[in-house]
Amino acid sequence: MGLLEQFSHWNFYLLGTYPKGEIGGLALNIILAALALSLSFIFGVMLGYSRLSCRMYIKYPCVAYIEIIRATPLILLIFWFYFFLPYLVGGNISIFWSAVISLCVYAAAYQAEIVRAGILAIPRGQLEAALSTGMSRLQAMKSVILPQAFKIMIPSFMSFFVSLFKDTSVTYIIGVIELTQTGIIISQRQPDKMLSAYLSMAIGYFVICYTLSHVARRLEKKIGIYDLESYRPDACRDEYMLLPTHKTGDEEEHPSRICSPKPEFRKDL
Amino acid sequence: MMITGVKITLVLLVTTTISSLLLGNVIAIMRVSRTRFLRVLGNLYVEIFRNIPGLFWVLFFYFVFPELLPSGLSEKLNSYLYYPVIAGILGLTVDNASYVSDILRSGRLAIPHGQREVAISTGLNRVQQWIYVLLPQIYRVTLPPLGTRMVHNFKNTSLCMAITAPELTWATQQIESLTFRGIEATTIATLFYICLAAIMVSIIILLEKYLKIDISSITHSRA
Repeated sequence: MGLLEQFSHWNFYLLGTYPKGEIGGLALNIILAALALSLSFIFGVMLGYSRLSCRMYIKYPCVAYIEIIRATPLILLIFWFYFFLPYLVGGNISIFWSAVISLCVYAAAYQAEIVRAGILAIPRGQLEAALSTGMSRLQAMKSVILPQAFKIMIPSFMSFFVSLFKDTSVTYIIGVIELTQTGIIISQRQPDKMLSAYLSMAIGYFVICYTLSHVARRLEKKIGIYDLESYRPDACRDEYMLLPTHKTGDEEEHPSRICSPKPEFRKDL
Repeated sequence: MMITGVKITLVLLVTTTISSLLLGNVIAIMRVSRTRFLRVLGNLYVEIFRNIPGLFWVLFFYFVFPELLPSGLSEKLNSYLYYPVIAGILGLTVDNASYVSDILRSGRLAIPHGQREVAISTGLNRVQQWIYVLLPQIYRVTLPPLGTRMVHNFKNTSLCMAITAPELTWATQQIESLTFRGIEATTIATLFYICLAAIMVSIIILLEKYLKIDISSITHSRA
C-alpha cells in the first residue's frame, strides 16, 4: 500500500530533517503556532483592553489596527512581512522569523477580540464593586476583572489556537518547510504516490486539530460559561452580540450567544 | 492583470458563497435528521473538513482529485485553462460548507420545538416545514456568525494563488516578479480586500436591521 510506504517517511512529516538539518514538518507547524500565540498574547491583551478605553485617541487606533488586520487575508500579511521586513530591518531576515512575525501581527488582532469579549462578559457590577473599594481602574482590571475574564477566555483561546495552527499551513507559500510543504515536496518527488502523500499530510493535521478542539470543548463544558452568561446585564449583551466571531471549535456556543435568554422549552406539551 | 485578478476573486467569492451555503444547508439538515446514518455521515463530514486546513483542500482538488478520476477525464481537466479556478471553488466550498453547516445546525437547535409542532399542526409536510417555517428563522438567527464566516471565506479566496488561479493575490505576485513593483501592487490588493470586506460587513449589518424580529417573541411564545 502506498500509504504504508509513506509511513517510512514519517520522520520527514513529523520533524523534517531535524537531527541532521533544520526542524520542519508537523513540529514546525506547532512551533510556529505556539510562538505566534505566546508572543502576540501581551499585545492582544493590550489591544483588547485599549479598545474598550473611553479615550478616543487610544480607542480608534486600536480599532483601526484590529479591523484592518482582520480584513486582510493572511497570505497578503505574510507577503508584506516577507518582502518589506528586510527593508525595515535593513538586513536579511530568515523566512522562519518573517513567518512568525506576520503570524504574530495576525494573531494579536484576533486575540484582542477574544480579550474584549471576555472583559465585556464580566458583569458591570464587578467593576463598580472594585472601584468602590477604592481601587484604581488599572488595579480593578488587574486583580478583579482580568482574572475572571481569562477564565472565560480559555476555551476561545484554545479554539483560536486550533485555527492558528491550521493557518500556519499558509506559510508554505514563502518556503517554510512545514507539513504542507513537506507533503508537496514528497509528492513531487514521487508523482505516482501523490494520493498517499496528501493523505499523510491530512492525517497529521487532523490528529492535532481534532484532539485540540475536543480538549477545548471539554474545557468549555467544565468552565461553564453559560452560567455566567445568564446574569450578564443586557447593555453588555448588546455589544457582545455585535461582535464578529472567530470561532472554530465551539459549535454549542452560537445559540446561547444569539438568543437573549436561553430558549425555554415547554416540557408539558 | 489586476483587473482580471479582481474579476476572478469576485467570481470565486460569489460562487463559493452560494455553493457553500447550499452544501452547508444539506449537511446541517443531515446532522439534525432522525436517521442515525445521515447524522453520523454529516458529523463525519464536519469533523474531517473542519480539522484540516482550507489550503490543503484547495491543493487536494488541484493536484490529487484529477488523479482519482479516469485518465481521459483527468487529462481533459488538466489541460482546461480554468481548472485552477474550478479546483479553488471546489476546495473552498467543501471547507466553508463545514463551518456553515455548524452555524446553521446551532441555529436550528436555538429554535424551540413549538415552531415545528405548529408547522405540523397546520398540515405542512416535512419539506414545507423546513422551507416555510424553520429555514427562514434559522437564517435570521444565524445571520451574524454566517456573515463573519462569509467574510472569512472571502479572505480565503486568496489561498487559490497557491494553485495558480489568476486571482488578485496571484496577480500581485506576478507583478512583483515581472516588474518589481510589488509594493504598489500589494498595497492596492490589500486596500481592495479591506474595502470589499467592509462592504460585506455593512451589507450584513443592513440585512440584520432589515430582517430584525423580536427573537424573544419566538422563544417565549406559548405555541
